[in-house]
Amino acid sequence: MAALVLPAGLLVLLLLVAPMAMLFRISLNEYSPTQLMLEALQPGNYLRAIADPYYQAVMGTTMTVAFSCTLLCLIIGFPAAYWLARMDSKRKSLAVILTVFPLLVGNVVRSAGWMALLGRDGAINATLRGLGIISEPLQLLYTQGAVIIGIVAVVAPYMILTLSAVIEGIPRNIEEAAGNLGAPPLTVFRRVVLPLALPGVVAGSVLVFILCMNAYATPVLLGGPQFKMMAPAVYDQFVKGTNWPFGAALAFILLLVTLGLTVLGSALLGRRYKR
Amino acid sequence: MQTTRRTALTAGLASALTAGLPGFSRAQAAPVIVGTWGGDYGELLASNIDVPLLRPQGVEVQQDVGPQDPRKAKLIAERQSRRGTMDICCLSDVDMYTMAQQNLFEEISTANVPNMVHTIPSLRRPYSAPHIYSAKVILYNPAKMTAPKGYADLWDPRLRGRVGLVDILYLANTEAAALVGGGNESNLVPARAKLMELRRNDVKLYPSNEALAAALKSEEVWCTIMWLARGFMWKKAGIPVQHVVPEEGATSIIFEMSVPKNSRNKEGAMKYLNAALDPRAQAGFADRMGYAPTVTNATLPPELSAQISLTPEQQARLRTPNYAYTAQHSAEILDFWNKEFKG
Repeated sequence: MAALVLPAGLLVLLLLVAPMAMLFRISLNEYSPTQLMLEALQPGNYLRAIADPYYQAVMGTTMTVAFSCTLLCLIIGFPAAYWLARMDSKRKSLAVILTVFPLLVGNVVRSAGWMALLGRDGAINATLRGLGIISEPLQLLYTQGAVIIGIVAVVAPYMILTLSAVIEGIPRNIEEAAGNLGAPPLTVFRRVVLPLALPGVVAGSVLVFILCMNAYATPVLLGGPQFKMMAPAVYDQFVKGTNWPFGAALAFILLLVTLGLTVLGSALLGRRYKR
Repeated sequence: MQTTRRTALTAGLASALTAGLPGFSRAQAAPVIVGTWGGDYGELLASNIDVPLLRPQGVEVQQDVGPQDPRKAKLIAERQSRRGTMDICCLSDVDMYTMAQQNLFEEISTANVPNMVHTIPSLRRPYSAPHIYSAKVILYNPAKMTAPKGYADLWDPRLRGRVGLVDILYLANTEAAALVGGGNESNLVPARAKLMELRRNDVKLYPSNEALAAALKSEEVWCTIMWLARGFMWKKAGIPVQHVVPEEGATSIIFEMSVPKNSRNKEGAMKYLNAALDPRAQAGFADRMGYAPTVTNATLPPELSAQISLTPEQQARLRTPNYAYTAQHSAEILDFWNKEFKG
């Protein structure tokens, strides 16, 4: 049976592990403005990235945005997922298509839509000015709020579909039994539905958190030049600064932090689930 | 020869096989792959070079469209590779110099590109052909402010919140700030204090040229540092700006084309460079994009020339970036721009 894993395993090794290994090797090299890279085996790039207050702040912003988006997705996504899971099968397929509909549009195009809404002369400012509520346009675009809204719009379907698959597996009569025993709806949700849906909460949150930590197009387009998250910072080092070793080190730090937080989050929530 | 079912099948199979192997059947018609910007630039390359000049010579062209920075990254990634994916690489002068230091490009001379003989001598480089050029100027809205004399006027506290800069032009902006601070092309350090001063004066930063154009049009900002050619295009598009050649001296920007050493179609690439320097092709770029010809044998209508060219006195004071200095300090310049100025 183990042999069946071999083709997929080899493919992953070739297409994922090999480039990652190469990138890791590059991250240990030294940057040279004239020769781009000097062969070396030194941790300088990692030490510089960890010690630099600028990159600490960029990582802080990235984590804040990722946590906020995950939490928002959970708050918005749970009721939607519940509704979807309990829907009769006739309308469900249409609802699922509507849920994944935003994913059919590319990130850049979607961000362009948000720019048209949030810009100084965008729909929101124009409406507020037209109604006489404001005299000067509000700064909505190029803010952290714009980035969070933009990312949530991208990743919410992942949360909703993951949660709804798990909620579907919770028999309806368990909720009804709890209700019959006198539990008000909120208690049914808190004591019955939520604990049983916890595996979905963990899976959805992990998926959404990873996507948010690595978001590129939305922060660049909706955050503007002064807003920095890690993925655009990595891109800047590779492409604008042609500093591949430092860019590679930043990429690995982002990978490790994302992995660490994901494992930690799953373990904490998982422990609660076991109880 | 009698055609049997077997010979017919064999012939069919052979032709199907060779059709699937472009290397055998179409070796002569390998297209020239041009790594270039899209938009107007890519379109003008096609309409002024590819179709009228190269197609009659049997040279087909395919564009690999994208921004400049990823193209640089692609060059670096492919530098060890024997077969590259570009035959022509378009970059601006500073980046072209940096890449040329890696010994990535074929040597360009009148021997392989005969039209190089007509290029303006100060624009010639051994590793590239100068395609078009322009100068860095100040664009301002005449209805909102008096004409500035030089870059230094953009630091006027009365222009608080009304100066807009483009993020991706950080090098050009840094150089202008250095000139105001008493530096020059070979010493950009004085830019730091001046940029921080500009930041305190609430300078507005835009992610792209298009975003700045929109801000100039809506009169959110009144002035900026920009290429003369882009100012020309913006004026044509109805954006309310005039240009001023700064008294500190305008700095040139050259958009160059080179042939990577791992190009698969060097012969076609050299023909492409020669066509790009053809006076007919050069005039097309001047008319629509406002870039001045890099060859002395291209003539422009006088009124167009007046709008996109510098006067002989301004031309004499034209500044050229110090490529070696910029390449050496590019990481620091970007770091300062990102961490301190924008941070």
